[in-house]
This record gives sequence, C-alpha cells and structure tokens, in this order.
Amino acid sequence: MIATIAKLIARRLLAAIPILLIVSALLFCVLRLLPVDPAAMSLPPTATIAEIEAKRRDMGLDRPLPEQYLIWLKAALHGDFGRSIALGREAGSLVALTLPATIELALSAMAIAAVLGIGGGLLLFHLRGSWLESVADLASILLLSIPEFLWGLILLFVFGVVLHALPFTGEVSPSLPQPHITGFLLLDSLLIGRLDIFASACRHLILPAFALGLAFSPAIMRVLRSSLFDVYHEDYIAQARLRGLTERQILLGHALKNAALPTITLAGVQFGILFSGTLLVEVIYSYPGMGNLMVDAVRNADLPLIQAIGLTYCVVVLLINTLVDSLYVVLNPKLRVH
Amino acid sequence: MAFTLQRRSFLQLVMGTLTGTAATVSAPFVRAAPAADAATIGWPNDVPSWDPNQRFTPDAQPIFKAVFDQPLDQDPQLKLIPHLIKSWSLAPDALSMAVELRGDVTFHNGDKMSTEDFRYTFFERIKSGTKLDTANSWRKVDDIVIESPTKATMKFNAPDPTAPQWMAFLGSYIVPKKYIETGGLDNFIKKPVGTGPYKLAEYELNSRIVLERNDAYWGPKANVARVTIEIIKDPSARVAAIQSGQADLTVNLPVREVQRFQSEGSFAAEIDPITRVILLNVRADLGFSDKNVRLAAHHAIDKAALSTAFYGGAAVPLSVFATPGTPGYLPDFKFPYDPDLAKQLLAKSGFGPDKPAKIGFATTNGQFPSDYDIARAIVQMWKKVGIDADLQVIEYAKYFELNRGNKLPEATLYSWDNSTGDPEIFSGYMLNPKMPFSPWKDQDIGNRTLALFNIADYDKRIAGYRELERYAVENGACMPLLQSVVTLVRKKNLAYTRYGNGWMLPQTLRWS
Repeated sequence: MIATIAKLIARRLLAAIPILLIVSALLFCVLRLLPVDPAAMSLPPTATIAEIEAKRRDMGLDRPLPEQYLIWLKAALHGDFGRSIALGREAGSLVALTLPATIELALSAMAIAAVLGIGGGLLLFHLRGSWLESVADLASILLLSIPEFLWGLILLFVFGVVLHALPFTGEVSPSLPQPHITGFLLLDSLLIGRLDIFASACRHLILPAFALGLAFSPAIMRVLRSSLFDVYHEDYIAQARLRGLTERQILLGHALKNAALPTITLAGVQFGILFSGTLLVEVIYSYPGMGNLMVDAVRNADLPLIQAIGLTYCVVVLLINTLVDSLYVVLNPKLRVH
Repeated sequence: MAFTLQRRSFLQLVMGTLTGTAATVSAPFVRAAPAADAATIGWPNDVPSWDPNQRFTPDAQPIFKAVFDQPLDQDPQLKLIPHLIKSWSLAPDALSMAVELRGDVTFHNGDKMSTEDFRYTFFERIKSGTKLDTANSWRKVDDIVIESPTKATMKFNAPDPTAPQWMAFLGSYIVPKKYIETGGLDNFIKKPVGTGPYKLAEYELNSRIVLERNDAYWGPKANVARVTIEIIKDPSARVAAIQSGQADLTVNLPVREVQRFQSEGSFAAEIDPITRVILLNVRADLGFSDKNVRLAAHHAIDKAALSTAFYGGAAVPLSVFATPGTPGYLPDFKFPYDPDLAKQLLAKSGFGPDKPAKIGFATTNGQFPSDYDIARAIVQMWKKVGIDADLQVIEYAKYFELNRGNKLPEATLYSWDNSTGDPEIFSGYMLNPKMPFSPWKDQDIGNRTLALFNIADYDKRIAGYRELERYAVENGACMPLLQSVVTLVRKKNLAYTRYGNGWMLPQTLRWS
C-alpha cells in the first residue's frame, strides 16, 4: 500500500509542475491586465508623471508581457516573489509569516466540520422514516444556506457581545506573549510549555473555526446520509445482518467505511473552498492569517502579493487533492490492486 | 430490519469527539477590568511597515507618532509647534532652512539623537537609494549642512515654502542613523527604535501592536503605561469589540452606529469634523467642457442634505477646498445650493430636464464612509435639474492609473486628507497639473497654481491660495462638498486629546 501511495504522490507532484506554471501564467496575465499601475502605486501620491515613467522602466513594465512573466518566473524559482507594493516587504516572507495561522484555522474548522458533519449525517440517517426526519432535513438545508461570514457575525454577536464568553479579536490574549518557533501558535505554545498561551490560542480559535466549520458541515452531513442510504441497500449489509452482527457493528464496521468514500471526496473539495473561506472570517475576527493579508492585497491592488498568495492557495489545493487521493487508496482496497 | 442507532451511542460518538474542544471552552473568557495604566484600542489598519519614512499612510500616523517623533509637531488646533526642532527659520527665498534640535533627546536604545540622525533621515537615506516615500516629499533637499550636534541647515535646489509643514507631515520622522547602519534595515523594521513617548513592545502583523511607555521620554510622559492596539478591520467587529469591553476605545465606526451609542449613553461617542474634504474632482473637457454645465452641476448639489443624511449633520458643507480654521479657508465665500440657478445655467447651454446633459460619474464604494450612497444621492439631485449621470464604481487603487490614462469620467467623488491644513496640500496639490491627483487639465488654473509653489512669503502664499480657491470654484474646476468626519467611541472614563485633523494619539489617553 505504501508503494502505491508513494507512486501516487510522485505522479501528483509531477503533474503539479505544469499546473502551477499554467496557474502562475494566468494569474500574472490577469493581474497585469487590470487597470492598475504597479509603478505609480509603489510611489507616493506626490510623485510626478516623469517619476512614475522612470519607475515603470525600472520595474520592467515597459517590456512585453511574456518577457515580464519570464523575469518574474526566474525570480520566483529562486524564492523571490517580489516585494509587496503596500508593505514594502518580500511577498514570500509575508506569506510564510501568515500561512501557519490560516492552516491552523482551516484544519480546526475542517475538524469541526467533520465532527458536526459526521454526527449530523448519522443523526439524519438515524431519524429516517420518523416525523423528525423532515424537521432535521429542513434544519440541514437552513444550515447549508448560511455562509461562513454570516456565521462569523452571528457567533461573534452571541458569544462575544451578548454572552461575553469568548474573545473574538486576534490570535491570543494581548496580555500574553506570542512565541515564534514554527509559526504555528498552538504548536509553539506547547513547545515552550506555556499551557496558558495554548489555552488562550484555543479560545481565540473557537469562534472563527466554528464559523467556518458550521458553514461546511451541512454538505458533509447530507452526503454522508445519502451515502449511508445507498450502502444500506447493498447485499453485504443484508449478509452482515444474517451473520448476526449488531446494527452498531454493521454501521461502524461496514457501512460507515464504505459511505466515507464519497464523503472524503466532498471533504477534499470542501477543504479547498473552506481555505478560501478564511478570507472573510479572518477579517471579521482580526485573525492574522493569509486570508486577512489577501483582503488587504486586493484592496491595495498589491499585485506581487496577490500573485504570491494566489499561488500558495493553488499549492494548498493541489496538496489536499493528493492527500484525499492517498486516503482513497488507504480506504479502498480496489485502488491498491489497480 | 431498520437500522437503529441508540441515542446514547450517538451522543457518545458526537460528544466524545467534542470533549477536547469543550475543555478549552470550559474555561470561561473573562475580560479583565481595564487597569488604570493599560488601555486597548480597536484600530482599523495596521502600519504598512515599521520604517516610518517608507510609506505615506495617513491612518498609521497616530501609531508612528507614538513610537517616533517628528521634527515639528502640531497642536490640537493644528498650529505648527516646536518638537525635536526647537526653532527653525526658513530663508526669504525658501532655498534653505536653518534648524536647531533639542539636545536632550535619546532613542529608545539609549543613543543620543543629533543632527547626524537628522541629516541621515532627510538626506543620506534618500540619496542612498532606499525606497522611501520621503524621497519624494524631500526631493528638493540638496544637502543638510551640520553645524553642531544640534544645529543644521537644509539646502534646497528649488524653493520649498512648505518645508516646515512637511516636517510635521506624512513620513517625516527622525530615525536612528547608527542603529540602522550597524544593525541593518531589516533589524530596524523588526525592532524599531524611535524617540517617541512609547516603545514598541510587541508586534504581530495584522493583529496587534503593544506599546510600552518610554519612561526616559524627553517630553511629557504618556499617562497610560501600556497601550494595546488591536487591528480590527471590520467595522462591525470594532462595534462588537467596544460593546463587549474587548476594546476601551475604537475609531472609524459607521455614523449610524455612533448615533446609536450616543442615544444609548453608555459610551462616549463622537462624530468630529476633521481636515479631510469630500469633493468632486472634475474634468475640463467632454461633457464638462461647458462651464455652465459644471457650475450647474455644483449648484444642484444640496450639501447640507448630504451631511444630514449620511453624517448625522456633523459634516460641514464646504464652498472652497479647505476646511474651517485652516489658513486657506474663506468663511465669507459661499457657493449656494440653488437648483433654479442650475436649471437656468443648463438652459443657457441648451440643456434641461427634457434634454439632459449627459456625463460620466465615478465613485469608490467603501473607501470612505457612505461614498457610494453620496454618489447615488448626487445623481438624483442632478437628474432633477437636467443632468443625466452614468454612475460607475471604481477601486481607489485604480484612480491614479485611470487619471494617468485620461480615462476618468467627467466627475469623480474623492476624499482628500491633509493633516497639516496648509492650502498648498489642499488646492495646490489638487490643481497642480504636474501632480497625479486631479483630472482637471487646464493651462490657466494650472499656471496660477504652479506660480504659488514658488512663493516663499507665508502671508503672500496664503493670500494667493485663497484667491486660487475662489477662482477655481467660480470656474467649476473644483467642487468641494463636505468636511469629512471621524467617528470615535470610548469608555466614558477614558479621555484623549482631540486634534483638528482627527489624530487620536495614544500618548494623550488618560483614565479618570
């Protein structure tokens, strides 16, 4: 199995190269076609037209677009994604600085979405045929229709403003220091043995993670229920019953494992969407992640930063797809044979 | 046989997985009561960089002013006052300026500040090729001659009559030469060292800034020992932060929210007019080539109604491109709201409600409070007199590119911030054809404006700008609308010093 997964990962990584090249070229062209002038924007508003023209030449913006792209690509291959126009710092280092917070948030949200989705899916399946089924069905549709930013505002209002139960700004309490070892705050706080920082970081993570998780759990819920319906019509379920297995054994030992395959596919796709959903949630909760940075970059038309963040999103999605495919191999023996 | 999952099993499955999360929730979040020596501010934007000379960002100036010092300062009424510079003297030809620095100022690392740092900030750094916005504002500096550790003379290659004003404006903060040259720029940006009333204790990008009082400060010590600035970009989250007690003070809330706070009375809530002007930037050609149409468009706008509708009446209607109390303001000049006169002017040019003049109109959406709503209201006002405006939304970041390419429509709603209040930085910059701000390209007004940039005598310069402002408005070259406002909500026992330009300086905070 390990060999199969290793081959799969190698194939995926090879395929990622042309995909990243195409995405970077597309991003580069689209951003250059926008009616913004990186040269003018990198100078103060008091700059004269002559100074802007000189800057444009200096930045190579007077050259043909393909030539500009090749210059950018050469630098990017050496780890230089350009300098943020608004912040004046290396775009790559800004991404590296903020990506861990977004990964922590997205993973926490995915865990919440998975727990709620699987729990909700089982509940919906459990209620089938009863009068509560339609109520639960309606509730899941209602949940499905609430986007993550609305969850963000609802949770902020209820738990932050009304109940005063949870903090909703930043990553950790202002009275605590923020360790910087790996960039992952939860991990870093444990590495230095500061449980108070860890607990504070968890409390700050709860609302944004739930806002994202709640928005993505209904889809998992409904797909799992549908998959369970399908699986329970399979012969092996009837045979399991004939062998005298309990309903719990059938569910956990057979049905859930097989129903999980389409759910994992969906979760993989959802994770990519969830990752982009961090944009608004991070702004609402002042969470210092890459989404927050992206919103600023778009607002300032900060082309080098948008390009660097866009490519990072692409890499993350490709990695998730590879992970999901590997999980498929683990869960589905047929794939190991073929 | 139907599958039945036992309720207990189901709950075990779900709740068991949630236990770990619940453990952290179980410790209730209790917001500590504010200590008398600490305050938390909800602020809408981060600093662009901790190099204060690097980028001109008006919203970041109050934060920079806490950590760094400017050569000159402004009092709450915006009068220029000594700061790191004890005295200054601009030559009659404005080609040089002698300055005398204080001798008792040290940087946060203990290094003494001297004219070496002054020269480094305003000359050496700029000439070294470091990419700084101050390279633009101080481009006329030919040299800075050091006469002693506290005395120096700035030499300009062209008259620079607003050099003193710029000493207290965007980006003009003295930085430590020795510290930057020995430790490097990256180290300075990571661990900035200034001479200001606060030291930077902690910084998390896009999250928070923690300031600790500089007990060795040369001037009046800050009242609050520790100020935490939480970067909260979303206005609703800033409202929630002040309401929940997670912030003690916050700024730039929607006017409607501030009015709600005012009516509830549990917080001190303010809507204050500042030295920021909301105006229409106009072209001299296309549908606005006819002066009658431009003047009609201006007469048709009910500025008082806009102020009442969108700023609770706090935004002062303006007739000139300067705010009350600033040197260029003309209190006796009024450009009236007169829709009948607007119709007459349009009729003279063959337009009317049945045959409207057609123009394009651009606005931002969300760049400043109620911008899009104001634009929509203006479109309706114009429609009543016979001007049909095609409204389009543009990104602020694209404004300069569109203007450079001559692609802006006849009118654009715009907001202009000038914390100095000097008229050169109001109408001088806006009507200067060599600068990228205005789409108005006309030789007559352009030449009048350029001539003012070389007048060194202060009174003569101010008189010139007053004349220019009147002339520009009477010719439809500029349509000032409102004096913009800043909103602020704070706990009632937390006071601060109000500045005419909207600064909320952490060093002025005090608990009662």
